[in-house]
Amino acid sequence: MAGARVSVEHLTRAFGQATVIDDVSFTVEPGETVGLTGASGSGKTTLLQLIGSLDQPTHGTIKVDDFDVTHLRHPARFRLETVGFVFQLHHLLPELNAQQNVELPLLAARLSRRERARRSQEVLGEVGLGDRLKAQPADLSGGERQRVAIARALAGRPKLILADEPTGALDSRSSEHVWTLLAGVVAEHGTTMIVASHDPALADRTNRTLNLVDGRLVANGERLDVREAVQ
Amino acid sequence: MIAVVPALAALRRRPGRTFLTSLGTALGIATIVALLAVGQGAQDAGNQFFHLGASDLGLFQKDAADPTTSILPESLLTTLRQTPGIAAATPLILLVGDIKPEPGAIVFGADPGGFLLHRLVFTSGRMFGQGEQAVVGDQLAAQMHLRVGGTLTVARRRLLVTGIFHIGVAFQDGGAFVPLALAQQISGRQSEATTIAVKLGVGTRPAAATRFLTRRFPGITVIGEGQEAPRAGANAQLLSKTSFVIAVLALLIGGIGVMNTMLMSVVERRAEFALLSAVGWSAVQIVQRVIVEGVLTTLLGAMVGLLFGVIGAQLLVRALGAQAFVSPHVTAWALGRALLIGVLIGVVGALYPAWRAARVSPARVLAQR
Ligand SMILES: Nc1ncnc2c1ncn2[C@@H]1O[C@H](COP(=O)(O)OP(=O)(O)O)[C@@H](O)[C@H]1O
Ligand SMILES: [Mg+2]
Repeated sequence: MAGARVSVEHLTRAFGQATVIDDVSFTVEPGETVGLTGASGSGKTTLLQLIGSLDQPTHGTIKVDDFDVTHLRHPARFRLETVGFVFQLHHLLPELNAQQNVELPLLAARLSRRERARRSQEVLGEVGLGDRLKAQPADLSGGERQRVAIARALAGRPKLILADEPTGALDSRSSEHVWTLLAGVVAEHGTTMIVASHDPALADRTNRTLNLVDGRLVANGERLDVREAVQ
Repeated sequence: MIAVVPALAALRRRPGRTFLTSLGTALGIATIVALLAVGQGAQDAGNQFFHLGASDLGLFQKDAADPTTSILPESLLTTLRQTPGIAAATPLILLVGDIKPEPGAIVFGADPGGFLLHRLVFTSGRMFGQGEQAVVGDQLAAQMHLRVGGTLTVARRRLLVTGIFHIGVAFQDGGAFVPLALAQQISGRQSEATTIAVKLGVGTRPAAATRFLTRRFPGITVIGEGQEAPRAGANAQLLSKTSFVIAVLALLIGGIGVMNTMLMSVVERRAEFALLSAVGWSAVQIVQRVIVEGVLTTLLGAMVGLLFGVIGAQLLVRALGAQAFVSPHVTAWALGRALLIGVLIGVVGALYPAWRAARVSPARVLAQR
């Protein structure tokens, strides 16, 4: 399965007077892993949410493969079938166990119970939690919870993974595990990934990095030193 | 059904709230079940009421507020007895609330020579003669500890009890018979009757006789065996309308309770619905999910409510002092309706909260930390 091609043109998102994303254009090729850096408040989360159709831009267009993300007829289906979101916080539902959390998107896809179980077990296996299927989130470590959240993002076999500071809440050992995991998934399935992070390790894990400053893209397609870009 | 498992999990996570919401529904459902049961019991009693011994038809005044307030002229008897197909006709006066300790007991004023009284089987004593005498049903006699030779006070008149009978009709076994003339004196209705019981001749069909009598005497209502008694009385209609209004109110109160709690729950769990939306749940699926939660809650309440309602019906009848002649009757249909209403409360109560949940923006909520 190939990754998606993402092309963003003249994207602007304003909240009232504040222009949070300011005339941003860039392209990500299928299978590419692109890092997104920038100080806190520079607009990374907003940009990822726009690409994932969780938010609507003020101006500009976003294309993911053939989808015009800003004019989707079925945004839910796009989120379900094309995109996998990994958030900074895991956002697992505390009353559901690991497998049930991973099955949430599969419920929306109206898969049979057997198919849901098969797929959720498969992706939980991929993130190394094949033996913790029935664990409640409260009984998992921070790193394990984030891995369940990654499994949830992978459950729909997305062509595009949007990860928003996926290791932001983790210690360095867990972070390392998560990075290795994401890199492995991307490599195996050819998935496209855009990942926002403050983590200095990001540069080694990506093909290139985009740097946001106050909602503007200051460099596109060049390798930057992440340690300098992030204050 | 997209989301029964996560909906159940969400409800189990907040057991106290789920219980209280269910309880609100349970009380609403209980009210409805109790009213339906008492209404059915009253109707059964009413139906029985018209089976006046061996009579085929009962004649009542048209548009009387209640079968007991009907007034017919005794002179009607002469015409009736001459009507072909009618074997016998006998007048009855019904006195309600005239036995102080047992307000539910009915006193029947009847002609000792009429066909109705021939069916009384005496367990002790014998039929009354003329004057201040009465025969008492065995059920009433047991309740009031009456014996032959004792006195029964009816509307402040002390009557001599000459016999105790059993006939097998709850109304009559729980009441008493007195001479027609005495009942007319007590009620101040000289030459009048409450109802006239009619016995048809062999080969006369009740339906044909009913048609004929209604045409012949436009001022009367004819009640045949197995017909619904409430048709005869405006009071019964009023009762059923009142029950309906109370049921609707119960439904509204239950629905508002569910809406209130569900709304609170949805607002509290914005992040959860934002997440569902972000991972690909459509607005319709989120609406379904919230409605499933509402219905599960109220179904739980409905189960408890059915139980409360059956108990409540007994208490209600006792509170109304009507246990002598109304025993609440819970039908499967009444229980089914109550369950259906429970589901309806859940759906209606969850609609607005569901709409709110579906409108939660995935971006705004997930960005919060
Ligand atoms: N819904 C919103 N309304 C108003 N301002 C917002 C909203 N969402 C984000 N912002 C603002 O946009 C800016 C960028 O936020 P964000 O995209 O979260 O940055 P980052 O993820 O890089 O830290 C911040 O200044 C933030 O306050
Ligand atoms: Mg952010």
